[in-house]
Amino acid sequence: MSISLVVNTSARQDSFFWQLMSRPTTAIAAVLLGLIVVSAALAPWLAPFNPGQLAIIHRLKAPDLLHIMGTDELGRDVFSRILFAGQTSLSVGISVVVFTSITGVLLGLLAGYFRALDAPLSRLIDAMMAFPDILLAIALVAALGPSSTNVVIALGIVYTPRMARVIRASTLVIRELPYIEAAKALAVPTPVILYRHILRNLTSPLLVQCTFIFANAILAEAGLSFLGVGVSPDIPTWGTMISQGRQYMDQASWIMLFPGLAIVITVLSLQLLGDGLRDLLDPRLAKGA
Amino acid sequence: MIRSTLHRLFGMAVVMAIVISLVFLIVHITPGDPAAVMLGPDATGADIAALRDQMGLNAPLWQQFFHYIIGVLHGDLGRSIFLNIPVTEALWQRAEPTFFLTLMALLVATLIALPVGILSAYYRGSWFDQIATSVAMLSASIPSFWLGLLFIQFFAVKLGWFDTSGYGGPTATFGERMNHLLLPALSLGAVCSALIMRFTRASMLDVLNDDYVRTARAKGMSEYRVVVKHAFKNALIPVVTVIGLTAALLISGAIVTETVFGIPGVGSLTVSAVLRRDYPVIQGTLLVISGLYVLMNFAVDMLYLWIDPRVRY
Amino acid sequence: MRKILRYTLVALLTLSCVSVSAQSEPAKGGIINVAMIGEPPTLDPMVSTADLVGTITQHIFETLYTFNGKSQVIPLLANAMPTLSDDGKTYVIPLRHGVTFHNGQPMTAKDVLASLQRWEKISSRGRQTAEKITELSAPDDYTIKIVLNQPYAPMLALLSLNNSAAVIMPEAQTTESPLTTFIGTGPYQLKSHQPDRFIQLVRFVGYHNLEGAPDGYGGARKQYLDEIRFVPVTDPNTRVEGAISGQFEYVDSLPVESFNKIQGGKDKPVLLKPYGWPVFVMNTKQGVASNILIRKAIQAALAPQDMMTAAFGSPEFFTLDGAMYPKGNIWHTEEDTSLYRSMGDTAKAQQLLKQANYQGQPLRILTSRQYEFHYKLAQVAQAYLEAAGFKVQLDVQEWASLTQNRANPARWDMYISHSPFLPEPSLTGIMSDTSPGWWSTDKKHAALQAFNSETDPQKRIALWANVQKAIYEDVPMFKVGNFNALAAQSPRLQGVTPAPWPYFWNAYLTQ
Repeated sequence: MSISLVVNTSARQDSFFWQLMSRPTTAIAAVLLGLIVVSAALAPWLAPFNPGQLAIIHRLKAPDLLHIMGTDELGRDVFSRILFAGQTSLSVGISVVVFTSITGVLLGLLAGYFRALDAPLSRLIDAMMAFPDILLAIALVAALGPSSTNVVIALGIVYTPRMARVIRASTLVIRELPYIEAAKALAVPTPVILYRHILRNLTSPLLVQCTFIFANAILAEAGLSFLGVGVSPDIPTWGTMISQGRQYMDQASWIMLFPGLAIVITVLSLQLLGDGLRDLLDPRLAKGA
Repeated sequence: MIRSTLHRLFGMAVVMAIVISLVFLIVHITPGDPAAVMLGPDATGADIAALRDQMGLNAPLWQQFFHYIIGVLHGDLGRSIFLNIPVTEALWQRAEPTFFLTLMALLVATLIALPVGILSAYYRGSWFDQIATSVAMLSASIPSFWLGLLFIQFFAVKLGWFDTSGYGGPTATFGERMNHLLLPALSLGAVCSALIMRFTRASMLDVLNDDYVRTARAKGMSEYRVVVKHAFKNALIPVVTVIGLTAALLISGAIVTETVFGIPGVGSLTVSAVLRRDYPVIQGTLLVISGLYVLMNFAVDMLYLWIDPRVRY
Repeated sequence: MRKILRYTLVALLTLSCVSVSAQSEPAKGGIINVAMIGEPPTLDPMVSTADLVGTITQHIFETLYTFNGKSQVIPLLANAMPTLSDDGKTYVIPLRHGVTFHNGQPMTAKDVLASLQRWEKISSRGRQTAEKITELSAPDDYTIKIVLNQPYAPMLALLSLNNSAAVIMPEAQTTESPLTTFIGTGPYQLKSHQPDRFIQLVRFVGYHNLEGAPDGYGGARKQYLDEIRFVPVTDPNTRVEGAISGQFEYVDSLPVESFNKIQGGKDKPVLLKPYGWPVFVMNTKQGVASNILIRKAIQAALAPQDMMTAAFGSPEFFTLDGAMYPKGNIWHTEEDTSLYRSMGDTAKAQQLLKQANYQGQPLRILTSRQYEFHYKLAQVAQAYLEAAGFKVQLDVQEWASLTQNRANPARWDMYISHSPFLPEPSLTGIMSDTSPGWWSTDKKHAALQAFNSETDPQKRIALWANVQKAIYEDVPMFKVGNFNALAAQSPRLQGVTPAPWPYFWNAYLTQ
């Protein structure tokens, strides 16, 4: 069973994508996610209106042909705002994923491969895991002020241990494989072993964790913006839109509903995709780290 | 067993040390002058300088750190700038709502997740399983504050079954106070139940396929005994871990939930402390909540150890 | 048979008399929960000018004088109106006998003297007034004497206002700073205070009531209610929800657009018309707005029409008016209101910016979301200012921190607040040189001096126009318009007179 982890032939990579797409739920999730990411990225071109453009006379209009998601209390087009807010929320999510991947892989790899480093690094990982995600972000915002960088750093720090643990666990397994021992016997330098052999085999757990961390980051960022301690309150995010739309839940529920739906759909697709990836890449991981 | 416990205790102490240092650093990298904030609008330069001296803010950073550590060890977390009471007192006043909210949410989550997870595993592939799994995925994707807002609108405002916010006045009985926690616990627990449910299901699936289950069935044991008495007990191990992790998730979820429902707990104290720039309180809540997390992880670890003899370190 | 009829008739008549007279005096008893915009930064009314603090503490502490239903000054702790010397500089104030504090101590002149001295030292209005006071003394146990260096028309109003208030407390408490024991003479005393949860006031049994009928803030204070609980509810939506579900007997400061929503709920909406005016106060002392041309550019750029519509929704909740006081009020004047353009004048603003040599420094606007109309005004203002070429930075804070941070001139260029229409115009915040904004020019001093030292009320009205002119020419602030305030009240709660600082000492609950 362990061999399947190691074997990484190109033939398998070709069929990987199609294997993924063969499951209906995963396929739909991937397509949805792709749509969301693309539309957020292309927001400046796709958005029919400027998201910050006030038009007080058109305030609180229900969805119609011109404003397909209605307007908010200052006359701004909700659809355009959702696209731009998506940009912010998604870019925070992706930045967190990148941050966590780098630090998590580094920590996990080192802890898993070098026995001497395992104990101290594991303590560090535990310490980082001691902070609830929102709490650390709130504290950093209190200290340094609201900005997307601070939010990314805070969430990155909090999610790194989750990635590190998974990577460490996988590294521990791979380390014991016979062909690694063979490489060591052949005096292959350690960095080469780490990079060429071990890292390559970590792509599966890495990818799976990335999707879940992405999902968590989006939820966490929404919560922070809702509380008013996320990115700067000027910048629209799905969380701030919900917070501002709360007052009009009765007369203009679309202001609050659409951003909520955007969050749910994005996170759901990410989770379905992550599940599909996990089932496909390594059934043993189905139980979690 | 003793060796493993001691080992873990030591690890916990190290982690707490790192946490305390991080907390101290976070608050002290803030720009701005806490003494000026404390004295308020009409302070003169001389007043501010005097208070800085008294607060020890002019001492070098390592000295301040040292005093801080000593303070923490003595249970002194400083004084709230805004509330003008010791931070420990502020935290103690707020502990009850947060504690019970987390407990109730955990109860809600487990009461939903465990039976649903077991049944889904048992009737794997059935319509029940498919619906349950889909609902679980959906609820894990919903922001708990959004759900909370929808609950308030429906149950509290439209139906009037609950108060829309708060924790009861000075004469509220324990029962009345807990009543205020029902809706928030529901919204928080619903979202967190998804993780427990999926884990329970996966774990049960594993166990139900194991040899000893087949043996028990072959021996003619009733289904009920097979599932509940044997399979579930063994499936418990990873489930306990997840419940432990969920408790941690609940604490961070409590922060947002308390704010939405206006519950005067530790979570909403943290948020208002940040909005009011009340640094001693921010520091205190960070410390206490992280400490609780570490303690909880430790407890889960110990529980794990106790349940499964195979996992001795 | 006739006897029975006769007796029944008599019985019925007696019963109806009894029930009629019973209805004329409401029953004592009951507890009410009042939802407020948030946790007050302090319970010491001398230290803060925030409406929130004044509204709560006016039940605990009392002042020498107060305002009646017609906004005239009448005695409260004083026994009568003061005897004024011919030159208008000396006030001799007689005190009431038999007034006790919450701790049972009787109130005498030494308590009043110590309180007024504390007010002079630590209260912003007190410090401003202290410059005019040459002597403050207590000739005997029930008299206070104040000697000024010039006639000062706002003097009595200052002794009547409930924020930055000259409240009377026991001499022993006057050395406390900050105040930790809250002992006053008011109809309700502080029983317990749990921050962010409630402030519990109970009826003061030893209250020495005035005779006669209630009249505005003055007159008799009937103390029907056993207890008043002020509950901080920072989110305006939660306050609305609390009003609809009937969780509170009174809800203060509701977003006016929720009027229709509230009408369908348990508590009924109460509109206070007109209530006051939102204001953008500018920092004339430090920062980018200290340049008069920049301030004039801001004045030109802002568009009250859009700002007020966004903040209040429908025209039934606001009016556009550049005058400091609305039509119908004695202080209404049209002086210089041509500078108040409902849609702004972006071109003129751009021109002024160029003249001012604006380098693109960010204009920092301090605001909060607890008064949600502040935030909406800020958002629309930002759009218009940016259209004129300003770079704008919104700094959103909790209201309590804002009231503290606005005292620091390095931290903001404009902050948003609002004011009710005050009975005495010179009590308005910006009239003080030291209040945040720090407006202090010769033009202002000349106009204000003339206005305040004039004792003839008719002449004062004409002089007020000059003050308004100074406001429009110096631009220390931008008045956005007039608005009506929305509160909600349970149908069971009666006896609450709509007022900018709602008071409950004559309120009662019906069944």
